[in-house]
Amino acid sequence: MNCAEFQDDLPQWLEGDRKVESEAHLRTCPACHELIADFDFIRRAAGQLQESAEPSPRVWNSIAIALRQEGLIRDGERESATVTVFPRPRGRWLNWLAPIAALGLIAFSLWTYQNGSPESAGQSALPPKVQTASMSLEDRQLLDMISARMPSLRQTYESDLQDVNAYIQDAEQSVHSNPNDEEAQESLMQAYEQRAMLYEMALNRSLP
Amino acid sequence: MKQHSKRAAKLVLVVVIAGAVYGAAQTRKEFRYTVSPKSTVYVANQYGPISAKSAPGNQVVVTVVLRSDKVEVEQSQRGNRVEIRSHLLTGADVDSGQADYEITLPSDANVTLQSSTGPLHVEKLNGDVTLEGATAEVDVRDLSGGHVHIKTLNGPVTLTNVRDGHVEITSVSGDVVLNGVEGPLVQVNSTSGKIHYDGNFGFGGQYSLTSHTGDIEALAPPYASIDVTARSVRGQVENDFPLEPKHSSFVAKAGSAFAGTVGKAASSVKLLSFSGKIHLKKR
Amino acid sequence: MTTARKTLGNGLTEAEAIERAKQGDGEAFETLYGLHKRRVYSLCLRMTGNTAEAEDLTQEAFLQLFRKIATFRGESAFSTWLHRMAVNVVLMHLRKKGLPVVPLDDTLESDDDVPKKEPGAPDLALTGSVDRLQLQRAIGDLPPGYRTIFVLHDVEGYEHNEIAGLVGCSIGNSKSQLHKARVKLRELLKTSRAEKANKPRGA
Repeated sequence: MNCAEFQDDLPQWLEGDRKVESEAHLRTCPACHELIADFDFIRRAAGQLQESAEPSPRVWNSIAIALRQEGLIRDGERESATVTVFPRPRGRWLNWLAPIAALGLIAFSLWTYQNGSPESAGQSALPPKVQTASMSLEDRQLLDMISARMPSLRQTYESDLQDVNAYIQDAEQSVHSNPNDEEAQESLMQAYEQRAMLYEMALNRSLP
Repeated sequence: MKQHSKRAAKLVLVVVIAGAVYGAAQTRKEFRYTVSPKSTVYVANQYGPISAKSAPGNQVVVTVVLRSDKVEVEQSQRGNRVEIRSHLLTGADVDSGQADYEITLPSDANVTLQSSTGPLHVEKLNGDVTLEGATAEVDVRDLSGGHVHIKTLNGPVTLTNVRDGHVEITSVSGDVVLNGVEGPLVQVNSTSGKIHYDGNFGFGGQYSLTSHTGDIEALAPPYASIDVTARSVRGQVENDFPLEPKHSSFVAKAGSAFAGTVGKAASSVKLLSFSGKIHLKKR
Repeated sequence: MTTARKTLGNGLTEAEAIERAKQGDGEAFETLYGLHKRRVYSLCLRMTGNTAEAEDLTQEAFLQLFRKIATFRGESAFSTWLHRMAVNVVLMHLRKKGLPVVPLDDTLESDDDVPKKEPGAPDLALTGSVDRLQLQRAIGDLPPGYRTIFVLHDVEGYEHNEIAGLVGCSIGNSKSQLHKARVKLRELLKTSRAEKANKPRGA
């Protein structure tokens, strides 16, 4: 048996089906011996890789928020969150939906915050339409709420909100003028994320 | 003259009483918890600093100074999770509601700290670190292996020597400074804050620094191994590295956008701004 | 799984945590998540090679599982159930992205892919000269189809008949593709080792 024949037989060999000729070849061939040693190493090393990485804490945060929202967690110690799951929008899939949906639900959440319990609000009215460009009403409501709860932060929120809105506007324009521009899309998503963070922080909904 | 000294005496008396009241109202408390490896420590504080550092052993020690009787501490341990919350009573404000926390904990603990005014300080940990503060100044150093997530509104963020985790920083207007920060994912997203990066862009990671109007400055060594894309729509871009051209749909434009590879291009680096200046500098 | 047992320092066994989760206990869900997050995330990360996607998929796998937890009766181990669900979530995602979950047609893979060596001076064996990070990167550099088969078999320990069922190929196909994946991986590791040797320190 030569090396080529041995290597043709290798898949069977590795599965444990070992021919006498193969064994004989292996005893005399350092190259094939090394090949087997490498495969052996790869298999063992791969087996030890099983759980080396840790997901970011955001994964649990999002799961916890979703579970509460869906009523699967019923701790009773916390008000039920109306903020949506906010998956990481960096991948291609859900790129656009995630931040927009988050903004919509955050706006809804703000609305319910100001109009009594989520249940009664949910029955009497639908959440406001998701319109990122014209959210000034939501912005004003948010600022009013901050004035009431954390007056010292009102100014910071106000100027940051203005900056973020300008960011969204510029980013939206870039995307409209060149819809296939990946970097423009990325900037727009980041702009949405900024706004979502601002709202989440104000509503104290960014941590579980 | 007599009138004068009477007034002075009254003033002294007022100061003494105020001091006594203040002294009495300011309370120091200490809580100790024994935890197993990989514990979680969560501290939510409205106003005031939180500092967390690792210490040997299996104890979480929380020391808190309450600035007045308008703020209380709620604390609990459930399983391997320690949770501390400052609770404000009616009438509490930024000063009277302030609580100052100092925490020591095992280095493998996961930590979540929240304070709107901060500052927030974390040092020498290997677990995940999540920090959130509106105006809080954030200072993080000597972390490895854990993920680091930071959110601020206008609080400045400084990270020094943070390695081998996912670093994600979102700040609306705070400046972000990263010194020796490397890992599989390093992402800074800002609206108007400046971003400064000084490091090796190592770990074959994805590095993304984005600011709408803030300047972005990145310093890397001549032997850096990066695949870089940079663009400022209205600002200037500058690059000190000789770049190998690369295949991509990205349109390079002298003065406002460049792309290419340096060395083996192990890490990907994206620098994006709308009107800020971008400079990729050789260290 | 030493970390797993320690995570249960709150006195809950996995079975108790499952029962409590069925009752809506948030801490029980967190315990279950803590026990299995690393394994599920690592699986997702290896199969996609992208941290952001891996986190989305980890989230999706746990959510799908938790939504069905009331139906869990303990016929199979909880971890088996979860991992199977995670694999399905990832495979579904890869299919949606139009990526092959099994390597493309065999005819595209000529014998060039499996270089046959004649006796001569062998290279240095991989053992002891390749570290964990290099191995992880090399797995990430495998073409998607090969990566799936390799991760499922050599990392996750699935048998060929299970893989065949999961990805929808024949057992023979799974075996032959695994072999090709290992051959490719070996080449990648040798290249990465050579590159590392030539790289200046600190780069």
